Amino acid sequence: MKNRKRLCLLGDIVGMLAAGIIFIIPFLFIFLNSLKGRREANLLDLSLPSVWEWGNYKAVFEANNHIILTAFKNSFLITLGAIILLISFSSMSGYVLQRRKDRLTRAVNVMIMTGLMIPPAILPTIWIMKGIHIYKTLAGIILIEVALQTPFTIMLFRGFMGSIPTELEEAGVIDGCSPFSLFRQVIFPLLKPVTSTVVILNSVTIFNDFMNPLYFMPGSKNATVQLTLYNFMGQYSSSYNLLFADVMTITVPMLILFIIFNKKIVDGMVAGAVKG
Amino acid sequence: MNKKKIYSAWFLVPTLVIFTGLFILPMVTSLFFSLTVWDLKNFTFVGLENFKMFFSEGSLNIGIRNTLLYAVIGCSLKVTAGFLIAVFLTSNIRTKNILRSVIFFPNLVSTIAVGITFKALMHPTKGLINSALGAVGLRGADWLGNARTALFSVLSVEAWKGVGVATVIFIAGMQAIDKTYYEAASIDGADGWQKLKNITLPLCRPAMNSVILLAFIGGMRSFDLIWSMTGGGPGFATDVLASVIYKQYAEGFYGLSTAGNVIMFILIAFIAFPLQKFLMKGEVD
Amino acid sequence: MNWKKNGAAALAAVMALTGTAAMTGSGILAEASDGGTAGQEWEYKEDTITMLIDTDTSMAGIQAVCDLAEEKLGITVEIETRVGGPDGRNIVKTRLASGDMADLCGFNSGCLLKELNPSEYFIDLSEEEWAKKLDDTFKDAVTVDGAVYGIPLTATSAGLVLYNKDIYREYNLEVPKTWEDFMANCRTLKDAGETALIGSFGTMWTAQVPYLGDNYNVLSQEPDFAQDFENGSAKYATTPAALRSFEKLAETNEYYNEDYLATTYDDGCDMLVNGEGAHWIILSQALSNIYEIYGDEVNKIGAFAVPGDDANDNGLTVWMPGAWYGNKNSEHIDTIKRFMEFYISEEAIHAYSEAILPEGPYAIKGMELPDNVYGAVKDMQKYYEEGKVGTAMEFQCAVKGANCGAICQECVSGQTDGKTAAQKYDDDCRKQAMQLGIDWE
Repeated sequence: MKNRKRLCLLGDIVGMLAAGIIFIIPFLFIFLNSLKGRREANLLDLSLPSVWEWGNYKAVFEANNHIILTAFKNSFLITLGAIILLISFSSMSGYVLQRRKDRLTRAVNVMIMTGLMIPPAILPTIWIMKGIHIYKTLAGIILIEVALQTPFTIMLFRGFMGSIPTELEEAGVIDGCSPFSLFRQVIFPLLKPVTSTVVILNSVTIFNDFMNPLYFMPGSKNATVQLTLYNFMGQYSSSYNLLFADVMTITVPMLILFIIFNKKIVDGMVAGAVKG
Repeated sequence: MNKKKIYSAWFLVPTLVIFTGLFILPMVTSLFFSLTVWDLKNFTFVGLENFKMFFSEGSLNIGIRNTLLYAVIGCSLKVTAGFLIAVFLTSNIRTKNILRSVIFFPNLVSTIAVGITFKALMHPTKGLINSALGAVGLRGADWLGNARTALFSVLSVEAWKGVGVATVIFIAGMQAIDKTYYEAASIDGADGWQKLKNITLPLCRPAMNSVILLAFIGGMRSFDLIWSMTGGGPGFATDVLASVIYKQYAEGFYGLSTAGNVIMFILIAFIAFPLQKFLMKGEVD
Repeated sequence: MNWKKNGAAALAAVMALTGTAAMTGSGILAEASDGGTAGQEWEYKEDTITMLIDTDTSMAGIQAVCDLAEEKLGITVEIETRVGGPDGRNIVKTRLASGDMADLCGFNSGCLLKELNPSEYFIDLSEEEWAKKLDDTFKDAVTVDGAVYGIPLTATSAGLVLYNKDIYREYNLEVPKTWEDFMANCRTLKDAGETALIGSFGTMWTAQVPYLGDNYNVLSQEPDFAQDFENGSAKYATTPAALRSFEKLAETNEYYNEDYLATTYDDGCDMLVNGEGAHWIILSQALSNIYEIYGDEVNKIGAFAVPGDDANDNGLTVWMPGAWYGNKNSEHIDTIKRFMEFYISEEAIHAYSEAILPEGPYAIKGMELPDNVYGAVKDMQKYYEEGKVGTAMEFQCAVKGANCGAICQECVSGQTDGKTAAQKYDDDCRKQAMQLGIDWE
């Protein structure tokens, strides 16, 4: 028994050490270098800054006419807008798809499966967006994110619906509820646990999305957080201090979220991944 | 109770409008536009010329090879590492919750940020990785500059970022295993290795299938990490389908880019669907 | 940032815009000064315009002109930057296509301009009186179907070899006359433990310069190559003189700094001036980037054309500057034109040269180089005096392969030999020709 305890302690030490080297050092590296002067940061080492240059962060915020503020605003609006639509539409679809089994729902299910695996067809999408005048607009990118996250979100809702007994709906019908108010007043409140999973998973995905804004929302006024970061990479290729200050600025909100909602996020991810 | 009335098809309409309009319709039209030279306004029909070019030209078809390599190796790395770490983190160590969080966190960081950071860490002369190797007397490599190692260097970062999800899925799978199996095995005198091989591994099968599918499909579609770390270079050594598609788009070769997109559909459809069928079948047995 | 700008040198630059070396023999050259525009009166009318420019262009000169324009013309300019290279080209293309272009768009001249479909987006300047001041070669590079679209963003520059004179003195080296001599110098330096060649291929476009900068040597042996290549009858892989450019590129591989694929253009500037590398095959615009940070230390740097195989016929490959193009769909067309006229006035060029010295002759008729130009630019002037200059391929031929940078990067890093790279480039151009609708079969 004593041996086992020792073994566990050894495991603790080895684990912490490995995690420290493999996972903590990169973040420490970003943090320290974001606070150095240009020349010092370009050495790319792990030393402490000789002067702590907090002004780097100010410079990052002021770069290109405060583009980063616009970027945060846009990313936030896109994430929020897409999530609201996803929750409203996908919960309704997941509900019907789970309850009703006929040719229509089978066809929709096949489409959803396709959407889970196949990537979007970029240029035809741009072509269609242009046709309906939503290319390069916030509304456009929100709809794109909704379209691309729909399959996954529906899967989550559909899976969760399986655990809700149909008796509730039967009672509702007897009470004379219309189909929509039945869903809104009876079913939707019961979906709360899976809804929080949906919120967590989709906000991480959409906030961190790089490729879709790159294709569907180019242009300076349309900056998103990830696009700004990418452009900084080109612009500050030899000013690592500013580049890392930008990386930090973008990572910190996520870190704070993670510290607060750690367990929820991890559990949500697991639930999503396993069911997906 | 009239199912059709309660579970009205109207509930599906908003989803179907958006999903069909912005996903299915583009997918279908891509089949046509991949056969054209196209500038979003006018097109000229060129038959299979774009596809011919894709398969014959080295700078394009290397993307197909690299995509497959990336998906297969990335997937194996995540499955293996994720499983082992999960075994470690379900043992009785005290720091398992902290470690789980630490391993998981890179998932929340944007891929571009991760790419920028590791590009700096892998710098051939100044980078921390080579300095550390130098300090213990080893000679580092030009991780991202050498055409032979570049793809694998990016893959290692891919695994670094993705192993957290694999690990927590495995942990969830392992925690769902009935403890009595292990107790029974202990009574029969099985050692740790036997328990791992005969109980944990087979009973983790659903979790493993999820990890395999997720990692594989994710790998086939990957773009952000490669693009931020190497931009497809040096030369074309790390180009994958998604980056080739982007490059053709950036140059204004819209028909060619769409052809690349169609090749990607076909590749995924021909590998991922059968793979999923195969895995599910194993699960039932 | 280490700003060691030398005030005296800058001041001298203002005063030095009077006659220097007479340069003849090339279309780019300054013609006799008409001198009439000095002290011109400008209309003052307040307005604000925006401009979009890549980050590889040194900003100090442009900023100086913008400041002066605000003072004299009342035009406030908001500068917005974008990355250079293929990513930057894509930004320009998508912003044009979506009607989101700034009032002034800074972009390449030559065949890359043609890809933008300028008649749809840019103001035609051919009717403007002041457009007559544009140098003829430059004008060709910004003319599409008879319409003139741009004014020069900077002075012309050249693709050449910049070298650190201190290192040359230390090892007693002579400026090479042929490629063989050049490689011998590199060998000597390498054996002595120096970095013979700076590779800055972390910035991908820099990998093309050794190949593109060799164009004079190609065309001096095969004068018709540019036309034949454009109409599809000649290929790089099968034309020995042209193939040589790629072979030379491949030969440089062994001489680079160890981290040549991670080093960026900006790093390259630091390395050359600090003596961490002896040669850098790059555009002469790097001199301005160096001057911006290191001031007079820029004169430690000398220049010679990319050497050819014939010591008697070696010349300089010249790039027309990028240009400002006016956004046709802007609401400030008058202001844009006023700004453009001002930008190429003597007054504005003075202001520009006060901040940043030119890295080659101006593309404006009547403007001559100041006396205090960078040492390396004086080295370049010799080629102009002898008439041994020619423009780069992209100003002579409508087809430029989209993947040129990546193909050169692949070759220079030893993944492909010269022959393979040339073939790949031919294929890449065929793809471009097909997209442009040119029949190459």
